[in-house]
Amino acid sequence: MMIDRRQFTKLAGAGAATVALTWQQACVQVAQTSEVSAETVGALLDAQGPRGIYAEAEEFERLRRAVGNSIRISEQLRSFKLDDDEQPLTIFRRG
Amino acid sequence: MQEAIHFLTVRELADRLESGAITSVDLTQMYLDRAEQLDSPPFDLPSEPRTDHGGKLSTMVTIASERALESAQRADAELRAGRRRSILHGIPYGVKDLLDTDGIRTTWGSGIFRDRVPNRNAAVIDRLQEAGAVLMAKMSLGEFAGGNTSSALNPWKLDRTSFGSSSGTVSACVAGLIGFGIGTETGGSIVFPASAVGASGLRPTFSRVSRLGCMALSWSLDKIGPVGRSAEDCGHILEQINGYDARDNSSTDRPFSFRADPGSMRGKRLGVHRAEFELSQSGQNRQVFQEALDVWEMMGVIVEDIELPLYPTGALFSTIVTVESGTVFGPLFDDGRAAGMFSFNEDRAAGWMAGRMMPAADYLTAQRIRSQLVREADEIVSRYDAVIAPTWPNGAALREVSNGWPIPARNEWEPPDEIDAQTPRLNYIANLVGHPGLNIPCGFDADGLPLCLQIVASPFDDQSALDFGMSFQQETDWHMQRPPYPWRE
Repeated sequence: MMIDRRQFTKLAGAGAATVALTWQQACVQVAQTSEVSAETVGALLDAQGPRGIYAEAEEFERLRRAVGNSIRISEQLRSFKLDDDEQPLTIFRRG
Repeated sequence: MQEAIHFLTVRELADRLESGAITSVDLTQMYLDRAEQLDSPPFDLPSEPRTDHGGKLSTMVTIASERALESAQRADAELRAGRRRSILHGIPYGVKDLLDTDGIRTTWGSGIFRDRVPNRNAAVIDRLQEAGAVLMAKMSLGEFAGGNTSSALNPWKLDRTSFGSSSGTVSACVAGLIGFGIGTETGGSIVFPASAVGASGLRPTFSRVSRLGCMALSWSLDKIGPVGRSAEDCGHILEQINGYDARDNSSTDRPFSFRADPGSMRGKRLGVHRAEFELSQSGQNRQVFQEALDVWEMMGVIVEDIELPLYPTGALFSTIVTVESGTVFGPLFDDGRAAGMFSFNEDRAAGWMAGRMMPAADYLTAQRIRSQLVREADEIVSRYDAVIAPTWPNGAALREVSNGWPIPARNEWEPPDEIDAQTPRLNYIANLVGHPGLNIPCGFDADGLPLCLQIVASPFDDQSALDFGMSFQQETDWHMQRPPYPWRE
């Protein structure tokens, strides 16, 4: 099936939105149960491409724990008080 | 007598080479013989962390004997012709096996890259070649610069950690197996291993040394720096490897010219982060650190206690490193090579993959917090000529306990229980904001393991950190203490 640029943009946008929503879903799960469900991690993983080593149950479980940790870390950063004017160091350069 | 030569500093080796008391070929052959005796054979990246090193330090992944001797011959010919390229001319060195070397395999400490042979030199290798130094060996490290996996042993006690990352470089320096070394640091990988074995090691100001040709763990945090047997060694080496490189987009044009004489320290101001002294498990360790401060006070240095801000440094590192590493190592996941990583690194790899999934907004939030921290930390450190704290509050822990860390500690991807009050805060802040930091030994714990201090200075004032280190080493001989290995057995 051929798709034109407009259709591709729409699909890609929908994909990105889905990933963002899935991450938010994972955040809610961590807040409620302290862990992320296998289904949610699977959805996040599939958005990255082939499952690779995480097709294996033991490795997948490691990833599930790591995603939970990442979310707890993100929450810590999100709750840190920042000045509205603070800009990110997107290119870190001294001098 | 011959043995003592292995332990000479860069300045002492350079003097002997220049005067003709020794040749570069003789010196190189001596280090090669010693490596053969104490460190042979170069190990071949086992698929699992080794528990039995057969009494060897395992500091070298690859020894480039033939090429080293050829370089030494050229160095001698130039010296005979009256041409000395730099103070490093003719001195054999080892480089952490993260830096590309043309025609010599560069493994990043991983079996996945066991046969990877680059066709170019890292910028630092080119600079050292231009300086006349003799590349002798690629030094062992934890896989992808983390963990105890493929790392060197600690020459003070073989059952203790050498802190994985730049372990081969620092252990070889203190065991007299190379003239000097090059390490890399993202969050402590020069200063922590140097602390575990009592080496002098410098993390230069971020952006001072080009990373071109060095494995990236985190583009916004990685630094390359010198390891030696004295603070002065580190200054001489930095002078040769620093400099602008347009191919590294973080590189800055702020040349470093080393001054080997620290001059008078009277009236200089030293900020002490006393809270980290209290992290030590023993009163004896705290006493060692206090006596080190007394040395500077005797010189007329003004010593003042300081406070450092509480930031979620662990969370900042976790976010920045896992997102950037996840991006760097993405292809290993995409094509399945990640399956070949050490078991230790399976959790680490999962963290990287989780980093790939993290929303961009969270990464940018981390970099916004970091931006604020840069301003605050710059302001605090600028009030002093240097700021100081124990590099690590205790001696090196047992290898099986620490899994690569100097004390039992969380892995980089695990969230801290609280906002990092119980960590070496000066180190983590200095790494996040790009301040230079020098590790120097200052005594021993009850088990005979080195204890060290980290001296941090303002960005691009690496000289100040070195001045404090050199002045301390003029008054003490902790940096001259040699490990009992191999005569201990």
